[in-house]
Amino acid sequence: MFASEVICVTAIVLEVCMLLLLLRRGLWRTYTFLFVYAIWLLIGNSAIFATFLYFPTVYPSLYWNIDSIDVVLRFVVIWEVFHQTFPKRSGLNKSLSKGLGIIALSLLIFACGTFLIYQNYTGPRSIHLALDRSFGFVQALMILGTLVTARYYGVRCGRNIRGIALAFGAWVSISTATNAMADLSSSFISYWYYLRPLSFVVMIAVWIWALWVYEPNPPIMESEAIDLNRWTQDWNRTISTARTIIRP
Amino acid sequence: MINLIFFTILGLALFGSFIFIALQGSPKSLPDSSAVQAVTEIINLEGSSFANARRLLDDTDYQALCSNPDLRRLALRLRNDRRQLALTWISSLQNDLIRLWRFRRFLIQRGVSSSMSEELRTLQALLLSLVLLSFIRLSIRAAGPFALPRATRQAGQLVDSMSAGAALVLGRTPAAGWAEIERSWVKSAA
Repeated sequence: MFASEVICVTAIVLEVCMLLLLLRRGLWRTYTFLFVYAIWLLIGNSAIFATFLYFPTVYPSLYWNIDSIDVVLRFVVIWEVFHQTFPKRSGLNKSLSKGLGIIALSLLIFACGTFLIYQNYTGPRSIHLALDRSFGFVQALMILGTLVTARYYGVRCGRNIRGIALAFGAWVSISTATNAMADLSSSFISYWYYLRPLSFVVMIAVWIWALWVYEPNPPIMESEAIDLNRWTQDWNRTISTARTIIRP
Repeated sequence: MINLIFFTILGLALFGSFIFIALQGSPKSLPDSSAVQAVTEIINLEGSSFANARRLLDDTDYQALCSNPDLRRLALRLRNDRRQLALTWISSLQNDLIRLWRFRRFLIQRGVSSSMSEELRTLQALLLSLVLLSFIRLSIRAAGPFALPRATRQAGQLVDSMSAGAALVLGRTPAAGWAEIERSWVKSAA
């Protein structure tokens, strides 16, 4: 029990540090969505800790309800990573947003589906665990997809977004796996009680490290419209030549 | 049950992917094309500007001459000439590498930012490239210019990668100052 309290207090202290870091350096203006999520984490975890100390009877239901709200709010972090990596006015955003939006929607439908078809809920905990892992899995895929797409197009991520994305992705994926293991074997529950909050603390620590130095994503260098038109014309000419060769 | 096993395996696989990406580090930044252009303008790279390496190392002519017994002597002369040319080209590439390295040092001496690890990586690349070029030279001396045509042809890429490194450093200075850098470089090289 003492270890749980220590982990919980550590998490709250780190969350306060992160908020102070975001406020002190004015980073909250750049990373507004992350800032909102950080406020939520502090409020949620403080409420959980206070209930754990003073109202133990309502603690389990409050813990799971806050966790379920958190599952939804985590999308805010994904949005932050995405819109920082592919800014709204960039050509890549214009080209990819529609396709990526469809993929994101399909993943959400998949998450809802895997949550609804899982019928063997043994109790309220299992419902929350199923919700957490179904959406956690999709969230990890979304973050990984964003990072892989950025790498594919040679978009460089600065320390801030890279640290946030990697720590968040690693945390939601390990959370997905441990949640499934906890439902798979009840003997894993005792490890899960420590593993999940510990991995969360590690994520917050990495976020603090990532935000310690202001290093946003470098701007995407885009070519002039004249160059783009010339390249398009060259490309179209190449395609038509290739077609002529293939089908004379 | 299948659902749970699926999430366990995929969750762990995703975790592994994130750790892998984190360990890989951020992708190397590519130099600005204008900086690459500027480097080639500032430094006269004799070896890498030679465009006929493929022709030089192609043994088709030599084989054609060898097939005729009357032209064997001519074939041997051609081989020797090509060997001399290949050796000259390789030494030009070595000079290019050293010139690029000096230019890089010159930029950093003038206050362009760089890190210790970047400097060590450059030094390592330079030493390895010089060793490789020396080995190619040795092979040309010992076995002729047609023995390792592929390795010899690719020797030019060593200079290109070194040139990209120098362009990366040059790209950290404002483009407006490149003309002044060129003037100072010419003065210091004289």
